[in-house]
Amino acid sequence: MLGNILAAGLAVGAVYALIGVTYNIMYSASRVMSFTAGQLGMLGGVLGAMFILRLGIPFLPGFVLTLAACAVVGVATEIIAVRPVLGSLEQHLYVLSTLAFALLIQQFTAIEWGTEPRPFPRLFDIGNGGISDEKFWLPLVACGAVIAGLEYLYRHTLVGRAFLAIAEDNFAARALGLPERNLRMASFALAGAVGGIAGFSSGELLLAFFANGGLLNFYGFVPVALGGLGHNRGAIIGGLALGVFQQAANFLVGGVFAAVAVFAVFIVVLLAAPQGLFGVTPARRV
Amino acid sequence: MALTRRGLAVGSAGALGLAMGGLARPAIAQSEAIRIGWLAALTGQSSAPAVGYNRGVVFAAEQINAAGGIRGRQIEIVTRDTQSDPTKAVNSAQEMISRAKVHAIWGPTNSGEALATTPIMARTKMPNIHQCVVNSLIDPVKYPNAFRIAPSNQQWDDAVRNYCLSILKVKSVAVVGDSTGYGTSAVNASVEAFKKDGATVVYQAQIDATQPDVMPDMLRMRNGGAQAIVVWSVSTGMEARLFNARATMNWDVPFVGHPAMGSGEVGQLVTKPENWDKVYIIGYRSCSFDESGKLPARTQEFVDSMKGKVRTDDTSLWWVVSGADAVKLVAAAVKETGSTESADIIAYWNSLKNYPAVFGHFTFSPTEHNGLPTEEIVMSKANSSHDGAFSLAPGYG
Repeated sequence: MLGNILAAGLAVGAVYALIGVTYNIMYSASRVMSFTAGQLGMLGGVLGAMFILRLGIPFLPGFVLTLAACAVVGVATEIIAVRPVLGSLEQHLYVLSTLAFALLIQQFTAIEWGTEPRPFPRLFDIGNGGISDEKFWLPLVACGAVIAGLEYLYRHTLVGRAFLAIAEDNFAARALGLPERNLRMASFALAGAVGGIAGFSSGELLLAFFANGGLLNFYGFVPVALGGLGHNRGAIIGGLALGVFQQAANFLVGGVFAAVAVFAVFIVVLLAAPQGLFGVTPARRV
Repeated sequence: MALTRRGLAVGSAGALGLAMGGLARPAIAQSEAIRIGWLAALTGQSSAPAVGYNRGVVFAAEQINAAGGIRGRQIEIVTRDTQSDPTKAVNSAQEMISRAKVHAIWGPTNSGEALATTPIMARTKMPNIHQCVVNSLIDPVKYPNAFRIAPSNQQWDDAVRNYCLSILKVKSVAVVGDSTGYGTSAVNASVEAFKKDGATVVYQAQIDATQPDVMPDMLRMRNGGAQAIVVWSVSTGMEARLFNARATMNWDVPFVGHPAMGSGEVGQLVTKPENWDKVYIIGYRSCSFDESGKLPARTQEFVDSMKGKVRTDDTSLWWVVSGADAVKLVAAAVKETGSTESADIIAYWNSLKNYPAVFGHFTFSPTEHNGLPTEEIVMSKANSSHDGAFSLAPGYG
């Protein structure tokens, strides 16, 4: 039982963590909580299945095409749902615009792909459904790879530092001559790719299913809130903890009640630490 | 009173008009088409059944018309696509009744729409046949115009329970469903009925359709001692996960329940074909292959008559058969009564005893509008579908 809790919990937690990172990347570049993050995860699974199973494209090109398509959807999110409302962030219009765009993606997928879950290809055919099965460790590997990739990008590349600069102080970055709009679009493309990796790596676990978008939107937001908005490390730890806790609750109290348990803990944590476990209360100039 | 020329002209015109109207009306009625409203969810989320029914509807109408119609009157199918939306179904039903002036309505094809349209049809006493499973949709007192030619939820439940207790001879069951309204109510009703019949329900749960790992539920069922798992859900993803988890556990417990477990999507989602073995779904004797792979004679005759004209390999045979049966039931009412009046059609249907439709022998009365006998409901092997029909589950001899 413990093995199953850890295997399934960490796998699902890794997916939540990656969706949390997707939220954070978009937020850092625009100060907008884009509710398309979960849909990008859903698209990773659906497009992966479409490219590899339906169109017969081999795994690697299929994976690259999936990430490219998700990156395009990320850029489209920036252009359609984020950019028009950037001027009035304090009115929180982005909640409406990004939710509307997320619904659009979900309904379009339902119409074109279907409302029934479809299989996702076995990528390496390792394991037989038990706790060592690839469907459990692929999301973890993907999560590790994304963390390493982002660390490298942010710490060792000029583009990554430019991302950090606009995340830190948008106005100052622009004053220094950084192309803020292009960097924001690149950030959304990166977020799209990370969401795509989340969906692709968990395709065998979650299946290629249009309704996964809502689930990932919801549970992917929890680690962001737990870890502190904009803190990727917090999102990763929060996501993994959420996955394990959820799976443990599944075993102990059952699936439907597990959701109640998860959100009960979520509310308690936020009451104790409103800025998230790893967030810092912003200083207010008085 | 003096007779004037103007009075004579007006009076003559009036008399002529009355005479013409009086003479013409029966002539029109006798040649007028028999209009059957067909409320079909041909698109949208629950379109699969309606697409199948529609093939039977069109085939039956063409067959009757080609044979000269009913008492010289052609069948006209007035189809409206409800798009699986109850609001559109209501609008279509009202339009059929008030503008298209249909004589009877077949459909809608899902319970969500039927819950909205049934009271509307009842208000206008519109003869209505449907196949929606929600028990409350059939109530001869509230809806004396509504007749069901498919099983109710209650009958499905009875058939599954009888199979578990009488044929599989199990004493302990687990009952699971999805977390939708349907799943919740079906699980509760099923659990109550199993307990009433003396069985032990070792586990009862709603599982979210998107729950990625169902192993916790499966372990609880096994630890509880379940000898059969009853599933009430249309979520093919959840069902495939249950079957895959059973295989991972090396457990050979049978699954019994909802027909969705036999859909083609489940076949694609199981990791190995054998994971789909020992899964038994609700089916119908009329549309099931026996041990020698044969359909009942009257069904085979119908299938032969459709050959080359109607596809059944990508749909369920019983949907096609039911669509045709519905049209034939309206036609039979007009043929026997010579009338398309609502009261006459309803009275005819109320008088039917063992009416030999292809799908089953329907029996209605003024107090019972569930036409399909429960004996016609059987269990089928979920992984045995071909040409739209399934093979009988073990135990039917």
